[in-house]
Amino acid sequence: MKKSKKIKLVLITAALASCNQNNTPTDWENGNGGKTYLRSDSTAPYARSHYHGGGMWFYAFRPMYSYNTNGFFTRNGFSSNAIPMASNYGTNYSKSRAVRGGFGRSSKSGG
Amino acid sequence: MKRINITPRNNWQKIVEKLGFGFHTTEVPYWDESAYYSFRPDEIDAIEKATANLYEMSLCAVQHVIDYKKYELLKIPSWIIPHIEASWENDEPSIYGRMDLCYKNGEIKLLEFNADTPTSLFEASIVQWFWLNDFDKTKDQFNSLHEKLISYWGYLMPYMNIGKLHFACVKESLEDLTNSEYLRDCAIQAGYNTKLTFIDTIGWDETTKNFVDADDEVISNIFKLYPWEWLLQDEFGKNIITDSSKTKWIEPSWKMILSNKGILPILWQLYPKHPLLLKAEFTEDGFSSYAKKPILSREGANIQLIENKKLIENSNGEYGKEGFIFQELFTLPNYGNNYPVIGSWIVGQQPAGIGIRESKSLITDNTSCFIPHLID
Repeated sequence: MKKSKKIKLVLITAALASCNQNNTPTDWENGNGGKTYLRSDSTAPYARSHYHGGGMWFYAFRPMYSYNTNGFFTRNGFSSNAIPMASNYGTNYSKSRAVRGGFGRSSKSGG
Repeated sequence: MKRINITPRNNWQKIVEKLGFGFHTTEVPYWDESAYYSFRPDEIDAIEKATANLYEMSLCAVQHVIDYKKYELLKIPSWIIPHIEASWENDEPSIYGRMDLCYKNGEIKLLEFNADTPTSLFEASIVQWFWLNDFDKTKDQFNSLHEKLISYWGYLMPYMNIGKLHFACVKESLEDLTNSEYLRDCAIQAGYNTKLTFIDTIGWDETTKNFVDADDEVISNIFKLYPWEWLLQDEFGKNIITDSSKTKWIEPSWKMILSNKGILPILWQLYPKHPLLLKAEFTEDGFSSYAKKPILSREGANIQLIENKKLIENSNGEYGKEGFIFQELFTLPNYGNNYPVIGSWIVGQQPAGIGIRESKSLITDNTSCFIPHLID
């Protein structure tokens, strides 16, 4: 037998369950969907990004949105309940000694 | 190896979404279960044996590059060489890699080795396993990825630094996030204390010379789904060699040698006319039919296929500034205008399973589909 006998996922399905909510941008716009995630940084194209658009809320990772200058929501990466909240949305790092943003630039320029 | 057309499961999108597979469709399905590939057991045995042989040869090629200081051929910066050599000498933890193989008319040929940041792991390990359970659970599949990943994470534990095992990827790609989270899932099941971060959230504490996460926690072990050559180009790149924690990077920096397509001419030089290899050189002299590939590239970008000195196919992209290699043309097999490439996985130094990506053209790029397989 060359296949795994049994498969159990402890993390992905757990994250999935917690994210199985119909938090549409409209909900957030109306203030009914909890936090609206705003990022101070910018995102840019990455080599590959399969994206199933519209109406799918079984993501283990919630898409993050922010307002653009026209007042519409725009996709802005993904968030997960499994990640420290500071990683999910904009954080004030002023009390930290660490400098951030020194990794990740090549993904934005590398295509 | 046969391609069999079938009817997809009813509501298959919902079924795979429940597994956490969120990137199954672009304009067309990326996960495509309207067909599967069927293999005889002896064919799978041949792929498994070839993968093991190629991996052993690849490790010898790394040793060769280190022994003869062939870094310039691979355009690896000199300042990272001590780090690479230390990671090799210390046998730093490595979890996985994926060889892309062409299987045609009974011949198996190595096209390239994605040794640093391979993806499609989640599809190969999880999605196609559950597909087989639904389709025909009496059948077998070359897929022990999940078992081997958990087992090998466990094996590596004593070789890690004290502290958590962080997992990092870019935030813009659900595919990368899913692959990272799947590997983290396996690590958790192996007993690790883990933490997910994003690559651009990683901080550098100049006072203590440490990499830190979003909570300022020191990163002592990190799996990163982010290519080494990008790490080196980034502003924090040189901090890797002054890092006081001597963070364990997974994959380790010696994988830079293997993930570079410059390893293909080196393999050919070490094992000329080996039946699993295609002739490869750093110049196009002596070729009439060949594939021209950037030494550093991803997703089938910037490749040209030349047959009898005529261009038959090419792909766009932004790679190639580091140079190219030239590899004898060995076109993918044609199954009704579908061209499959076999991604053969190495986990913990061993063959662990396959995933098949299929394109409508001879170059497997980021529009390819993932097709499940079984052993009949």
